[in-house]
Amino acid sequence: MASPNSPATAAMNSPGSTSQAPVEKPSAPPVNILPSQLAQTYSYAHPVLLLALGASRFNALVENPVQELLKDLPWLALLQLFYVLLCLPPAGTTVSVSDGPSGNDTKSARSRKPGYRRKNSGKNDWAGIWAKLMPAFLSMSLTFLLATPIIAVLLVLFGAPLTTHNYETVLCAAHMALLSASALIYAHGVEASVWKEVWGIARPADAVWGSALGTGLGAWFGAIPIPLDWDRPWQAFPITILTGAYIGYALGSLLSRTSFIYGKRIQFAPEQEEEEEKTKTN
Amino acid sequence: MAISPGWWATLLANILVLVGILTFSTGFFPYKPLLPGLATFQDTDPNVAPVFDKVIFMVVDALRSLIRAGAVLPFTAHASSPTVTMPRLKAMTTGSVPSFLDVILNIAESDTSSTLAYQDTWLAQLKARGDRLVMYGDDTWLKLFPGTFDRADGTTSFFVSDFVEVDQNVTRHVPTELAENDWSALIMHYLGLDHIGHKAGPRSPFMFSKHQEMDAVVKDVYTAMQEEPHLQSTLFVLCGDHGMNDAGNHGGSSAGETSPALLFLSPKFEALGQKLESPTEPFEEFQYYRTVEQADITPTLAGLLGLPIPINSLGVFIPEFLNVWDSGSQKMGILYRNARQLLNVIQATFPTISFDEQAASSCKSTGDSGIEGAQCAWSQIHQLSNENAPGELFPTVGPALQRFSQIAQDVMSSTASNYNVFRLGLGLFATTLAVLLVLPTVHRDCARSIYTGGFLMFLVVSYGSMMFASSYVEEEQQFWYWICSGWLFHLHAKSTSLSLFVTRPKLGYWGFRWSTMCTLGLIACHRVLRRWNQTGQKFTAEPDIARGFLPVHPPVFWGLIVLAYMDASRGLLQSMPFAGLPRLGAVILPTLAFMFKLSFVANDSPELLTGSFISRVVGAWPSTFSLVPQARLVFGGIGCYVLLAILNRNQAGGARGKISHLSLDFIAKNLPLTDGSPPLASNTLFHEALNLFLMTQSRATNIPIFLIFRIQSAILTRMKLNGIEVTITTLIMQYMTFFAFGGSNSISSVDLSSAYNGVGSYSVVMVGILTFVSNWSGPIWWVSVGHLLRPRLDVGYHSPAALLTFHIAASLASVMAACTVLRSHLFIWTVFSPKYLYSMAWATANHIAINLFGGISLSTLWKGP
Repeated sequence: MASPNSPATAAMNSPGSTSQAPVEKPSAPPVNILPSQLAQTYSYAHPVLLLALGASRFNALVENPVQELLKDLPWLALLQLFYVLLCLPPAGTTVSVSDGPSGNDTKSARSRKPGYRRKNSGKNDWAGIWAKLMPAFLSMSLTFLLATPIIAVLLVLFGAPLTTHNYETVLCAAHMALLSASALIYAHGVEASVWKEVWGIARPADAVWGSALGTGLGAWFGAIPIPLDWDRPWQAFPITILTGAYIGYALGSLLSRTSFIYGKRIQFAPEQEEEEEKTKTN
Repeated sequence: MAISPGWWATLLANILVLVGILTFSTGFFPYKPLLPGLATFQDTDPNVAPVFDKVIFMVVDALRSLIRAGAVLPFTAHASSPTVTMPRLKAMTTGSVPSFLDVILNIAESDTSSTLAYQDTWLAQLKARGDRLVMYGDDTWLKLFPGTFDRADGTTSFFVSDFVEVDQNVTRHVPTELAENDWSALIMHYLGLDHIGHKAGPRSPFMFSKHQEMDAVVKDVYTAMQEEPHLQSTLFVLCGDHGMNDAGNHGGSSAGETSPALLFLSPKFEALGQKLESPTEPFEEFQYYRTVEQADITPTLAGLLGLPIPINSLGVFIPEFLNVWDSGSQKMGILYRNARQLLNVIQATFPTISFDEQAASSCKSTGDSGIEGAQCAWSQIHQLSNENAPGELFPTVGPALQRFSQIAQDVMSSTASNYNVFRLGLGLFATTLAVLLVLPTVHRDCARSIYTGGFLMFLVVSYGSMMFASSYVEEEQQFWYWICSGWLFHLHAKSTSLSLFVTRPKLGYWGFRWSTMCTLGLIACHRVLRRWNQTGQKFTAEPDIARGFLPVHPPVFWGLIVLAYMDASRGLLQSMPFAGLPRLGAVILPTLAFMFKLSFVANDSPELLTGSFISRVVGAWPSTFSLVPQARLVFGGIGCYVLLAILNRNQAGGARGKISHLSLDFIAKNLPLTDGSPPLASNTLFHEALNLFLMTQSRATNIPIFLIFRIQSAILTRMKLNGIEVTITTLIMQYMTFFAFGGSNSISSVDLSSAYNGVGSYSVVMVGILTFVSNWSGPIWWVSVGHLLRPRLDVGYHSPAALLTFHIAASLASVMAACTVLRSHLFIWTVFSPKYLYSMAWATANHIAINLFGGISLSTLWKGP
């Protein structure tokens, strides 16, 4: 299950798997929450805080989804910005956790190879702030410019209405993008191998990927109550989806940091190979 | 090859499924015990003078509560589900509440076991009195009442594409019959309105002229009643047997379907002084005037005609008619007879409960319902009639009698079906046993891949638990669309994950980009499919592609259809192992099939043709060809190709090289070829012939779906799924496409429009098969393509039959459990029973006949030399 981030795997990855694709690089290891006490504490509080805030705005959301989603968007963006700045290592830095509070994390953090490509060498404060601000800016702009349209298209492909409810779909996508993509972009930048793994649902579990996958799965499960004949106003299109996404975000973010799941990947056994071996021998 | 124990387990499981269905059905659709014989007046019954001596009973099939009112007493007659013709006629003539079993018998119409010849009806009462009856219209009446009518001319009700002749056939008899004096009941059953509804919906342009035609008939009859002396005391009843929903179908329980019109017309009613406004606004959906039960027609007619009330009637005399009698004792007599007859029925059903003066002395409140309420009401009648002088009985006892009758009707309608719980349990047990039998094999297959196996278990468990919620049963399509999107996500994760981490050189071409493109293509196809036909209950009326987009864009619509037939022709050509004549046939046959579809549309729904380039072609096309020989020609051609595929299976090896370049679609051509050997020619040829057959059996608006299927199967071919994935994919696609074609779990969504293609005279077997094929064309297509997708060397590695049996047995067991647990649920006859009927069709026809037997025969085609 757990994919070893060993050089052997990396070597196996290397021969050009597609003719045009660049040579595969070893993919980024799971992201750790910054070691400071504040970051560790807030990283647990953040999903709970989002859920609580979401619950407090639920009635207003049912009342007028478009207005409420639009009104909440800047606040959600600020909260996510605060979270990533406080808790996550920005893209292009390595965190040298030697004795983080969550002891389980240390092993995989240590296994990181030296000479990692974009290691930041700046040590002074300004460079440190710059190193955080730049990814934060990137994160916010890409979340809105790229992730939101992509998620909106995916929502439609997964069954969201196309001819009606367009504002709802886009706003729902924006919320989901803030939940899922902002932290991913902040932590990984535009690293192609990471985004390939994201697209292929193959990232190792960590708080960032767990919450992103949780957002998507939660939105999928959020569709369940819609067909019920209860005739409740909250069964309208984006509400259950988004509720599912928020719950999924919180669950994913918390669960993926437990020692059972952390660092593991969803990986399929290459059964096809066995068959092909059989074909050869026949 | 040795036959494994798993194989035997699967066989046994399927036999158990059949046994389970049979046992459960006999317990679930019980044969209702009926009182035998004809009712006669008893000595105690007071004598009441008949008001009318003749009745003209005009049924307009599927007439919703719409019609204007004159010197009439109009009602909305509530028709309980199932709203199909035969049970409704039973309700209107016997006054009873027909069992759900009658739905099946309605479709298997030639069945004579459902005849009413031995039951008591108001027709039988007239006959027993020595009166003469005549009938024109729907021959269902002739089947229900063999030997009852002295003159009759029946029209078969199943050729739904005929709007005009069915009704002219009735109307032409009306003037002569109105001139005759020898009958006392004239029954007319007009079918045209129903046919228009089935074909074109309630908003069809044909509807208006049809209503005008019906109005003209009513006017003729009424004028005759006013003018002809021998029709002076004739009662004219105009009613619909059921309504229709917004799609023009019926069988379910929506307001439109259960609200047929009911009118009593006679010049005598003018004296009653009830002037009603017309046209009027409905105070609820289709509820224009007071609502009565359809069963109430029987005692009302019996009372007005001076007949004994049929023995099994559950109807209550409609109180508005009491005023046609002047004296209170006559009114009392009518009500007393009605109550007395209902009491007989109740006593036959509840033999242990005694109805006498003392029995319910303990009862205090008057608001009781149920059997105790009936007891109370009856003892109250005794009390009141003892307390009051005989002359003043009607004002006091009358309401009490009415109340008793009403309670009795409620009690009897709700206990209309008594289930055999032991058999229900036995059927459930057999089906559960079938699940357990195949479980080891399925577990072995699933254990190989934890994610795939987990997904399958998730699917089966969530589907099973869904069967207990009425809204999820009504909206089952949502589940399959939802699970299908999840499965595509799963396939995507698998293929990209393999492309990222498994980098054997052999898999190198299977790149990240291709897997991305495949996923996006599949999910886009899926998204278009789910919007093709809106179905279910909650969102049926929302715009979709088949009813909203295509009819208003005829060039797109016909362009797609032409493309679909060209694609079918290309498919036939490419899978053709021979040169020469068969190749020419591969062009001619789809052309013929297209011309058939074109004339079919021109006949049935010409509105789809207007404004398209194709309408000019139709203008030039000689329209003299009848549809039946055209369809037979197409079916014959398809049969030839199937035969060719079977005969050719030994030469398949030789054709292999020729078709190695076979690509199912233009997209496929752009994809890198796999190194797997292409499907053998016989199977492909068979699939292509089947494709054309299914297109012929589909509604015109659904034909472009086959183009989408091509894209999907082409992508899936390139994804190189393993055995268990192919099985799950085809399983999900079977259910998903059933709903995408417009199917649902309501009886009313059964599509009969293609059930008569090439059938000259009614034959249960042929029509049954064609009906099944035209409603399950999506599933059948995917069963066939599943065999082309399956990797060749997967045999023995995974058992598709066991997996499919596992799913069908588990879903059947949960439907049975839901029907057993919820048997007193409000929706049992409207939601859960239709679902059970559909599950039976899925299990017997689709699972055992198509998936298993079809699968076995396809794999014999497959093996070749």
